[in-house]
Amino acid sequence: MAEKIKLYDDSKCTACRGCQLACKQWNGLKAGQTANTGTYQNPPSLQPNTYMMIHYQDYVDPKGDVKWLFRKEACMHCTNAACVTVCPSGALYYNKEFKTVGLNHDKCIGCKECVAACPFEVPRYDTKTEKVYKCDMCESRITNGLDPACVKACPTGALKWGDKETMLGTAAKRKEYLGAVASTYGDKFVGGTHFMYVLKENPAVYSGLMKDPKVPFSVTVWKNWLKPLSLLAAGGVLAGSFLHYVLHGPKRPDPEPTDEKTEGGK
Amino acid sequence: MKKGMIKVTSGYERFVHWMLAISCLLLCYTGMGMMYDYLNFFGAVMGGLKGLKVVHNFTGVVFGVALLLAIQMWWKEAGVFVFPEDINWIMTAGGYLWHVDKVPETGKYNPGQKMFFLTVAAFGLLMFVTGFFMWFPGYFPLSTEMLRWLYPLHALGFLVIFAFFFVHLYLGTIGNPGTVQAMISGWVTRNWLKKQHPGWLKEMEHEGTLIVSDGEK
Repeated sequence: MAEKIKLYDDSKCTACRGCQLACKQWNGLKAGQTANTGTYQNPPSLQPNTYMMIHYQDYVDPKGDVKWLFRKEACMHCTNAACVTVCPSGALYYNKEFKTVGLNHDKCIGCKECVAACPFEVPRYDTKTEKVYKCDMCESRITNGLDPACVKACPTGALKWGDKETMLGTAAKRKEYLGAVASTYGDKFVGGTHFMYVLKENPAVYSGLMKDPKVPFSVTVWKNWLKPLSLLAAGGVLAGSFLHYVLHGPKRPDPEPTDEKTEGGK
Repeated sequence: MKKGMIKVTSGYERFVHWMLAISCLLLCYTGMGMMYDYLNFFGAVMGGLKGLKVVHNFTGVVFGVALLLAIQMWWKEAGVFVFPEDINWIMTAGGYLWHVDKVPETGKYNPGQKMFFLTVAAFGLLMFVTGFFMWFPGYFPLSTEMLRWLYPLHALGFLVIFAFFFVHLYLGTIGNPGTVQAMISGWVTRNWLKKQHPGWLKEMEHEGTLIVSDGEK
């Protein structure tokens, strides 16, 4: 089967949070008690037991009109995923069929390297289980021909799951329909994300939305440069030492044949 | 003990050296088991990768303590360059790279050893500090960008320390025959001392601090 992506269209989203609940239900996640901070948004951010959530935002557009913007936040399932690159145990991996990013908790050692590396700041570490949690695009469902739970629950068609090409086409059409300030988000970053947005406003308007997400340069320096270079340097030293030994020779004490006698005669 | 052997290290010095060395090697082993996916099998003896991580973290604490003791112990002797003799030694590369008729005499530690000590001290501290923050990232107000750079810095420290380890291993054993005894029994031959640290030998003889075995034990 082909590469698939999940498409979120905020112009169709009513922020009913059916997806948020379906996610909790399918993944067997509990909810914690939170405080009312004057917004419907709850919980305030992603948590180890909240893989996805709807953001609520009051926005005053340049004309002075107040708009209520919604946004579904979850793992973006990058094609070039920094978390998979840094994961030391292979717990984070690409789904071979759909190219989404899966997470095997049996392998996770809780090193938190993915938490720092993720350009979208998605993975959350649970101090109790000492493991990291994030959306895996309902891998148990999609590999069995079902839609992700959030898509299944969506009553308005704001969420879709389908072949990449089809979804890109749908996104482009929606963007055109929605007009000048509308945009698509995700297709241009990190090799293309497998969760992308159609936004009715410019992405810069949405709070908490990364402007220019990319694999951090520090990850490239670390994994692509220093990692192989470490072994090269050690190998070079070993080879150099060997050559030194056979070409220059070790530094031996000068032979002193009288040494024994002198000391014996003390 | 053969008669005429000279004592060059104290028991405390050897203890700190080996505490630092063993913790460092264990850190290299556990760290490499996590860094290189094809070395993940290193975890087998510690119950998996999670075991590597736990051992790595706590060994890091031992390493940090050993490093502080080593710095405190060796700083005065190996942390400060002396002019001009150290420069003269460096100009001849200690006679290690090309033929030198007479290698300039230096004190207890030659500039090569001093450079090694300073590198281990600097990069060891770097490893300790970056490693500590990597262990507890959530407890400090580090920006995401700062947190991200801890990892390549930690990898840079590994690159330097791992490469230097092999230099140290070679020069401490077959590259300088007789040297390894300084860190095993603590006793070396006068002949060795005359070749490797002539300046120091004279210093000790002059000050009367030379400890020579009388061959009784």
